[in-house]
Amino acid sequence: MSFSRLEDRRLVTGAGRYVSDWHLPGQLYAAFLRADRAHARIVSMDVSQAQAMPEVHAVLTAEDTQRAGFRSLPCAAPIPGKGGAELIKPYRPVLAAEVVRFVGECVACVVAQTEEAAQNAVEAIVIEYDDLPVVIGAEAAIAPGAAQLHPNIPGNLAIEFETGDAQAVAAAFAKSAHIVRLDLHNQRVAGNPMEPKGCLVRHDAGTGDYFVHVCTQGTAGMRGQLVATTGIADEHVHVVAEDVGGGFGLRFNAYPEYSAVMLAARITGRPVRWVASRSEVFLSDEHARGVSSRGELALDAQGQFLAFRFDFLNDMGAYIAPTGPVVAVLSIRACLAGVYKVPAAVANVRLALTNSVPMAAYRGAGRPVISYMIERLVDQAAVELAIDPADLRRRNLIPAHAMPWPTANGLAYDSGDFPAVLEHALEVADWTGFEQRRTQSAAHGRLRGIGLASFVEATGGGAGPDEVEARFGGHGEITLFAVSHSHGQSHETAYAEILSAVLGLPRERFRLRNGDPAVRLAGNATGGSRTLHGVGSALRVLADDVIAKGRELAARALEVAAADIVFADGRYHIAGTDRSVTLDSLIEQHSGGAVHPLDTRSSARTGGTFPNGCHVAEVEIDPTTGVVEIVRFSAVDDAGTILNHTIVAGQMHGGITQGAGQVLGEHAICDRQSGQLLTGSFMDYPMPRAIMIHGLTLAEHPVPTPTNVLGAKGVGEAGVTGSLPALMNAILAALRTAGVTHFDMPATPARIWGAIEAARAGDARRFAYDRAQ
Amino acid sequence: MSKVALTVNGKPVEVEVEHRTLLSTVLREALGLTGTHIGCDTSQCGACTVHLDGRVVKSCTVLAVQVQGQSVKTIEGLAPSFDASGARLHPVQQAFSECHALQCGFCTPGMIMAVTGLLQDHPQPDDQQIIHGLEGNLCRCTGYVNIIKAVKQAAQMMQA
Repeated sequence: MSFSRLEDRRLVTGAGRYVSDWHLPGQLYAAFLRADRAHARIVSMDVSQAQAMPEVHAVLTAEDTQRAGFRSLPCAAPIPGKGGAELIKPYRPVLAAEVVRFVGECVACVVAQTEEAAQNAVEAIVIEYDDLPVVIGAEAAIAPGAAQLHPNIPGNLAIEFETGDAQAVAAAFAKSAHIVRLDLHNQRVAGNPMEPKGCLVRHDAGTGDYFVHVCTQGTAGMRGQLVATTGIADEHVHVVAEDVGGGFGLRFNAYPEYSAVMLAARITGRPVRWVASRSEVFLSDEHARGVSSRGELALDAQGQFLAFRFDFLNDMGAYIAPTGPVVAVLSIRACLAGVYKVPAAVANVRLALTNSVPMAAYRGAGRPVISYMIERLVDQAAVELAIDPADLRRRNLIPAHAMPWPTANGLAYDSGDFPAVLEHALEVADWTGFEQRRTQSAAHGRLRGIGLASFVEATGGGAGPDEVEARFGGHGEITLFAVSHSHGQSHETAYAEILSAVLGLPRERFRLRNGDPAVRLAGNATGGSRTLHGVGSALRVLADDVIAKGRELAARALEVAAADIVFADGRYHIAGTDRSVTLDSLIEQHSGGAVHPLDTRSSARTGGTFPNGCHVAEVEIDPTTGVVEIVRFSAVDDAGTILNHTIVAGQMHGGITQGAGQVLGEHAICDRQSGQLLTGSFMDYPMPRAIMIHGLTLAEHPVPTPTNVLGAKGVGEAGVTGSLPALMNAILAALRTAGVTHFDMPATPARIWGAIEAARAGDARRFAYDRAQ
Repeated sequence: MSKVALTVNGKPVEVEVEHRTLLSTVLREALGLTGTHIGCDTSQCGACTVHLDGRVVKSCTVLAVQVQGQSVKTIEGLAPSFDASGARLHPVQQAFSECHALQCGFCTPGMIMAVTGLLQDHPQPDDQQIIHGLEGNLCRCTGYVNIIKAVKQAAQMMQA
């Protein structure tokens, strides 16, 4: 049978239900007045004209949210800071009260009969600002004399983390034969899921319940944040979601608009709907990356790695988003020394506040920051020591027999065969045939480069167990409930296939309803590539629990002791006889009541694991135009046991392409003087299009993990974690042949051409990011 | 306000619209055809792609008053034989599903409408024609790899 997903039929026929497809009778429309400047004091605001407009039902400002008892949007640090320091939390209001701190921050919310009327009324609000000095970029934020964003955060530095052993690293550096240093900048990008965010809120004045239809990656986390912000009791907040049009990390947090629309629904007594325009998405969706980093690698005379030392300075934007500190530090900590058997490593991670939209998770969520740093640094070492980059890695990879491997900062890699993955990738990429291809490219006037990246990434973290529930309904339909919400990852198909394989029932019998507020489960959001081993493991447990319950029913039906019954291929057999009963017939026999005896709630708590891979990129550069073409890309990945090869390949394609998008041009540029977003539409922000990658080859190299019952490691973020460094290593390899010695992303034609021209004029580092900028 | 009469998915409809109302708004809000999606505000993403008198257009770039007397086909009308019981899909819809050319599915209706148009112009498209034909449609999930594969498979299916 050819591939198809259970969710596909509705999605290819236009029958999906995304947030903007929901309507409720009597609904009103919200629109937001957003700050049009990056840092200013609000001197006065007059909403009277807007309020008096026909069709306008309400205009909400900070006064209203304060009266309603709203608090700051939540944030927290996942681990203590250096020396036990705590995160200094900026106060982030739902609607700005006295000061606006980034272009796009919500100031007022208009509710009207139509979307157009709401927008017109927004324009009728008269607001006077007193501009304050603007701080753009983390270096500027922590520079002496920089303007302060928040009164409680001196020097705009919210927290500093340290992971690893600084003393051991210093000792290793002291005895090293070579030290390689590299400064890199991982630019600010906009995640841009294709569905713009939005919400539709209904308030029931009788019960006090709020029904919040919203784009989400997981209902439980979304609800918790809404509760924390609005102060409304948890049992009164019901998050509803069906189809979600992409997320990549950006749909985890409860944006301030959602709380404002909740208040609007209560005040007007009508359902209120708000859907962002793409311009609003650019201005107000969390951005990501934005990390200036410095890496140092100490080696001995034989090219053995002795120690890594890193410094990461994060531009967090104007406030700390809930997932911001997690992204900034946890992946650095988990993957500190990458795939290498380096005895000492340390990283310093600082979180600085700037006058730009807050930063949070976007595909990879810190993994592409540490992998990019490590793998660029290793390539730099290969160049400086004149060692083949594959060979330098070969000398330093953690051998398979050393698993589980205790990392330099006290974690443990559970499994993996990094050397075999490297060799596999070199073979798939025809690494040794490169010189011939380079000669051919040169004959056409093209610079050709090959680059590789060996990486490990961390998945499976989670705040607690994942609960799942199965309800056996009429017509043999089994409804599944879980928290982790699909925004493209094929949960519906994957869950059904896990259960189908164990229970011997066709996968079409399973239905997933994971955004149903009537069923409250504990669980984690979709994120950190964890759903398959978190929820998937819980489903595997559930399957066993169902089989055990069914065995009791079968025992009664067959009139034997349960211990004499074995289950296989959907059928309970009396061992050693030909007497049996199918699970299916037991489901049918016992259906009809309010509760089915097979209804089951199960849970699993899984540990973290470490998918890993080796990606090899090959690019051609036209030195006359600066255009970079990705001509080959080979990705070999250990994602653990793979349940559905097609879905896994789809995740790899998407992740690799998002990395390519950042490498080749994506950049959320905030003007350094005004703080205005200069790349605020698809006209200015180069999203990947269909021509991005040629010659993409994937290969699996699975090493099952012992950390969960499925052996699965997760795959959502491996693509970008590998492609970012592999592509830049390939581009720099090509540029080196033209005399360029350093280059920071993005590799736009103008920057590439400029770098080649500058190198000709004697400046080999013109397009390095300037930390003092 | 103006009255506009048009045919949508084979059925005649009449709607009253403001002069500034977009075709995409009429389809989604007045007619409830929410398979046509809005992904941007600069006519870049193509999620709102429909057919207007057999031509591929971005419905966010067409004013409703412009379509007087014309015929619109949306994703809901692409496979008229489709029903909830699982009848046949249009070959492009089927190819998208079989090739895993969709993940979150938000860009998919627009992609499919664009691809059906592409295959009208080029029944056996080469890579360049496919890339050119997909230029106006953005997908954030798939990296386009399987979309390109689906275009080729659909072309084969429609040839057969």
